[in-house]
Amino acid sequence: MALPISYSWRSLIARGTRTTFTVLVIALVVIATTLFWSLIASLKRTLVSSGSPENLVVMRKGATNDGSSQLTLESLQAIRFFEGIARDADGNPLISPELVVQPFFATTDGGRENVLVRGVEPMALRVHDEVVIAEGRMFTPSSGETVVGRGVSRRYKGASLGDELKFGRGTWKVVGILEAGGSSFESEVWVDARELANDAKRTLPYSGVRLRVAPGADMDALVRRIGDDPRYALEATREIDYYESLSSSANTLYVIVIGLAVLAGVGAVFGATNTMYAAVQSRTAEIGTLRALGFSRGSILLAFLSESVMMALFAFALGAIGASLLGRSISWLLGGIAFGAATFTTNVIQLHVAAGDLLMPLALSLLIGVFGGLAPAARAARMRPVDALRKA
Amino acid sequence: MKFLPFVLRNLARNKLRSLLTASAIALAIALVCILRTMPAGMDAFLSSIASNTRISTHNEAGMVYQMPYSYLQKVRAVPGVVAAISWQWFGGAVDASRGVEFPNFAVDPEDFGRVYEDWNVSQQALDDFRKYRDAAIVGRGTLEKKGWKLGDVITLQSTLFGLELSFRIVGEVPNPRAVQLYFQREYLVQAFAALGTPLDSTGMIWSRIDDPERVGPVMRQIDEMFRNGEAETTSETEKSFFGNFFGSLKGIVTVIMIVAGIVTLCIVFIAANTASMSVRERVGEIAILKAIGFRSRTIFTTLLAEAVLLSTVAGAAGALISLALTSLLRSSLVSTGPQLGPLTGFVVTDAILVQAIFIAFFIGILSGWLPALGASRRSVAQTLREVF
Amino acid sequence: MIDLENVSRVYQRGADVIHALENVSLHVPRGRFVALMGPSGSGKSTLLNVLAGLDRPSSGEVTVAERRLNELSEDELAEFRAQTVGFVFQFFNLIPVLSALENVELPLLLTNLPRADRRRRAETALRVVGLSDRASHLPRQLSGGEQQRVAIARAIVTDADLVVADEPTGDLDARNAEEILSLLQTLKRDFNKTVVIVTHDPRAEKWVDEVIHLDKGVLLETRPGGGSREMAVSR
Repeated sequence: MALPISYSWRSLIARGTRTTFTVLVIALVVIATTLFWSLIASLKRTLVSSGSPENLVVMRKGATNDGSSQLTLESLQAIRFFEGIARDADGNPLISPELVVQPFFATTDGGRENVLVRGVEPMALRVHDEVVIAEGRMFTPSSGETVVGRGVSRRYKGASLGDELKFGRGTWKVVGILEAGGSSFESEVWVDARELANDAKRTLPYSGVRLRVAPGADMDALVRRIGDDPRYALEATREIDYYESLSSSANTLYVIVIGLAVLAGVGAVFGATNTMYAAVQSRTAEIGTLRALGFSRGSILLAFLSESVMMALFAFALGAIGASLLGRSISWLLGGIAFGAATFTTNVIQLHVAAGDLLMPLALSLLIGVFGGLAPAARAARMRPVDALRKA
Repeated sequence: MKFLPFVLRNLARNKLRSLLTASAIALAIALVCILRTMPAGMDAFLSSIASNTRISTHNEAGMVYQMPYSYLQKVRAVPGVVAAISWQWFGGAVDASRGVEFPNFAVDPEDFGRVYEDWNVSQQALDDFRKYRDAAIVGRGTLEKKGWKLGDVITLQSTLFGLELSFRIVGEVPNPRAVQLYFQREYLVQAFAALGTPLDSTGMIWSRIDDPERVGPVMRQIDEMFRNGEAETTSETEKSFFGNFFGSLKGIVTVIMIVAGIVTLCIVFIAANTASMSVRERVGEIAILKAIGFRSRTIFTTLLAEAVLLSTVAGAAGALISLALTSLLRSSLVSTGPQLGPLTGFVVTDAILVQAIFIAFFIGILSGWLPALGASRRSVAQTLREVF
Repeated sequence: MIDLENVSRVYQRGADVIHALENVSLHVPRGRFVALMGPSGSGKSTLLNVLAGLDRPSSGEVTVAERRLNELSEDELAEFRAQTVGFVFQFFNLIPVLSALENVELPLLLTNLPRADRRRRAETALRVVGLSDRASHLPRQLSGGEQQRVAIARAIVTDADLVVADEPTGDLDARNAEEILSLLQTLKRDFNKTVVIVTHDPRAEKWVDEVIHLDKGVLLETRPGGGSREMAVSR
């Protein structure tokens, strides 16, 4: 004979104060670990979601990122017509030469950060097909105009649509906001490549090139061909691999966060166990009566375990909502959280609690519920009815 | 004091509960300590920049924009400037696949010692730095992390230029937090020349000013001098420069502190729950004590002392745990690169330890106050009526 | 020793107003062994609490050992109890984490006596109740009767003039009950203490000097008990 689930449920409600305490503790632990986890997950999502599996990044050999690479015009002309590069309907190769510069931007709260400004040609939007102009329009070349990423538009002075944005040696009019599925492009500012080269006084007009591999073409062969060319020291990488290597700097933080979450979780298990033991102790008479009535050990165990798991799950729900709200508020108040993923560039991330982020806190809550309640529940079940009643 | 054994005995009354509570508190305090090393590392870094007479001058548009090298001579000529050198970012990596692990720059060796007097680089090192073309001075932090010694020859591949250069380590910056590597600008210029391209620009200029009072005016003068020139400049104090450089980490630090606050709140709840539980089950006993003649105040104090003692001892244990964990973190983490900078020092300072114990102490008071007060104030007669 | 004049005690229990005592007047001379008896709810425990300084009357005057309890503050009452009264209750007498000796020593912690003296007096008290060999035992290692005896030892360790006991034999079997009552009588006879107990145990009648009956908060009658008759006989 099993105890109905309503027994566990009603017991929790009857001991309101005790239940509230435990639920609060677990909920707070969930909020803390979720915030941390989301911080790193948001960062990883931004970096890892960047890049298209069909694109290649071509840079000078030895450069680790866009900003530290330069390409000559000849090298660009040379690879334009390599086999394997996709072409549009008119036969033009889908190849986007780009210039990357990291000027200072003034943040709205008086700080100063390096932001990735990408000088592009019109072909860029076709090669980076995950980038869309969500508001406004694309800039017109040679007009002193710019489009800014979603993450940028709220963080820096003059970066909202229609505003005048000051960086480098000039002022640029913001005519559009670009979105890119939450990837790192949303932390960038795009301008006309030639104007940027002029502003930054670059002799070599481009840092690197992004190109789309033709559907069905042998990507590895193309990569090898570009890398092996003896005339120019170039290196091609798959765009997604490129961004993945940039995201590795977040790994350390991941390790730290997991470690801290474990620490917090173990502490919470102790706290929850404490409460459950007290719950058991104060109900010895009740347990004795139940046992005397004929409920088996197993059913008592299950009932108490259900109580602690129910508390934990309820706490998880509260904590998840709390963390989500808190994360949003923090992001909104701070104008996004900045993180320098590669040297000299800032990635602006929104602290967003995604469904996937909640898996770890959910597991943690269940662990707390199960382990927190197991030992006390077992103790309750093992009590002999006679002893339990006598203690009363 | 004669009540201390009584207090201890009461804690031992339910050993499991005391142990569980203490463990929860200890772990949470350890967590808070570790979290607090991050902003503390930042503060320590910024305040370790002792010199208030050193300023930086860089292209107004951004740090990665170059300035003409000729600017250095002009800056040196400004009255109030005692000495000035240029910094050119080399972006060298030991292992290309791991990227840049520590900042490295090409600098002017002659005035290096004068601009960075307070770094206490040995005179011998400074002399060798001037003497040998491929000489390098390295911060102690990097020397220790990479296991390098004076006299070693190391090679760095520039991720910015297509160059690979070898350096001979002739000296160190004796600060364990220092991680930079400096080598001769001339060495870089020659490497560029061999490639057929001249190097006539630089990234930054660092100057030492003779008098702290003159710092403001000198900075303005320098920027004024270059206004409308080939590259307009911004000059700022060293502290301001690094504050801005790491300023973007503010967001992460905020999240960390919020999490630390939440965890502390958690501990208070756990401890308060325990205190109230343990007091509630002694209601009858406490009534007897009051009957015998113990005053409310005495009862309050002994009950509070239980919570405070448990909390404080647990907090001390947690602080020790944090010491062990951070030393583990430091030795096992691969280099995080210069981006996270001072955040990942993970040094639990004495200040943090002391604060942790105080926090634990106050948690004890906060959590034990109400239960102790309630118990001490209960009317004896009422309790006897209810219990019996 | 004890003088109560027109003492009433009214209190609230939930939504009800309880008249525990109604205009009770009482006089107990020094060295008397008195039993307060009556049915459940008669107010006998309340009466005990009032004369022991544990509870304040709603009206009337209480004078014990020449001190007017009405005039004392909470702290002063605590002091009064520490100096003048020894307590024995039915449950929760002893602190479970302290040994028998330490429990007896407890009231002495309120004095300024040095540790050695405290120990000595506690040992003496234990000897009086015949439990010297149980000094280091914890309460859970003692039988019900032994626990009560330790409580009695604690009640006399400060040499208090008044010993009050609320249902001291309530939880005990016949033999242990008799032992406790005999011990209480010894306190009166050999140490000249005033002893007031609350009980519904009819066996108590033959040990006490006086039996005071209460019902519904009112003092009904006072009768001499077996103790006084014994004294009369032995004379």
